[in-house]
Amino acid sequence: MMSDMMIDRLVEDLTPVKPLKNRNGFALTLVVAAILTALVAMIAGVRGDILMGMPHPMFFLRGGALLLLGLTSSYAVIAMSQPAVGNSFKGWIWALAAALLFPATAAVMAMMTLPGNMAILVPRYGFECLGVSMLGGLGIATVQVLWLRRGAPVALERAGWLVGMSSGALGAAAYSLHCPFNSIFYIGLWYSLAVATCAIVGRLLVPRLIRW
Amino acid sequence: MIANEETFRRLMTKAQAGDKLCYSSLLTECEKWLRRYYARKINPAAIDDLVQETLISLHRKRASYDPARPFLPWLAAIGRYRWIDSLRKIYRHEHDQLYEDMVADPQNETVTAKVSLERLLDRIPPKQAEVISLVKIEGLSIIEASAKTGQSESLVKVNIHRGLKKLSAMVETE
Repeated sequence: MMSDMMIDRLVEDLTPVKPLKNRNGFALTLVVAAILTALVAMIAGVRGDILMGMPHPMFFLRGGALLLLGLTSSYAVIAMSQPAVGNSFKGWIWALAAALLFPATAAVMAMMTLPGNMAILVPRYGFECLGVSMLGGLGIATVQVLWLRRGAPVALERAGWLVGMSSGALGAAAYSLHCPFNSIFYIGLWYSLAVATCAIVGRLLVPRLIRW
Repeated sequence: MIANEETFRRLMTKAQAGDKLCYSSLLTECEKWLRRYYARKINPAAIDDLVQETLISLHRKRASYDPARPFLPWLAAIGRYRWIDSLRKIYRHEHDQLYEDMVADPQNETVTAKVSLERLLDRIPPKQAEVISLVKIEGLSIIEASAKTGQSESLVKVNIHRGLKKLSAMVETE
């Protein structure tokens, strides 16, 4: 029987394997994110208010929201390498909802009053935010894609969205250590754009890289 | 007689450690389980290929199984993934009779009910499930499915495309 022959071949080909551990994949992501953040701090420099020991509250709110989004969605990505009917990792949805408060607040405020300092919406600064976030995100996305290729993700499009979103959020969190702007308009526009762009790029590229 | 969840889990754990005897038993049991799992959910002519593809996937991705977790939900996720992939590839088959003796008669009723393919099809809109069943499983042509369902030919194609896309996103859904 054809299946018997194939089973014999598979058995012959058997070598011991170490089961994937989610915590290893997640730890790897954290290490890369930490290296990335250190690089941003060393190359671009740290915000003045942090150096003076008086960080602006917006720094914590922005960084916290990005970190939460980045970490929860990274965990979901890593967990997708071990498929099972009944798997459900939805923590990232709440983190995303919290992060969306920034662009939502910016949009509402913009309807009520124009931003006081229009310079913060000048593309030159925004593109720096976008570029650094995406570049950093690329490093994190590479680790995640390699991890997924070792595993067996079964929802490729969702994996693509999540890889893009998590790497973009962690890249933006790293950049926020340098970013001097505290305006809700700036954050609502450029940070949202950075995460959204990474998510779209992830959706378009990642499924092709992890298909099996 | 098909192995139960605990036997599957034990065999897989030993297979991951390189035990060829256990691996051979595991693949044989998985083959039986998959044949019942796919019964009536794919054109009978395609079952052999699909079972073999799934076993090869199991082999290639065996490191993705976590021995601390149940085995059948893992196998079912891989099975569903290969099944949807297979439905995408099938365009037109001979209209064979479905094998009556291959109706699912699974053990581990509770687990199998949760991971079944029926449950997956039930979660997409009925019109999409209907045309997927007619064209991709029973092997009708687009024109025949259109005549049978009253949907236009282009709508049949759109519903198949959308249905398969939704199924892909729900592989891990209970």
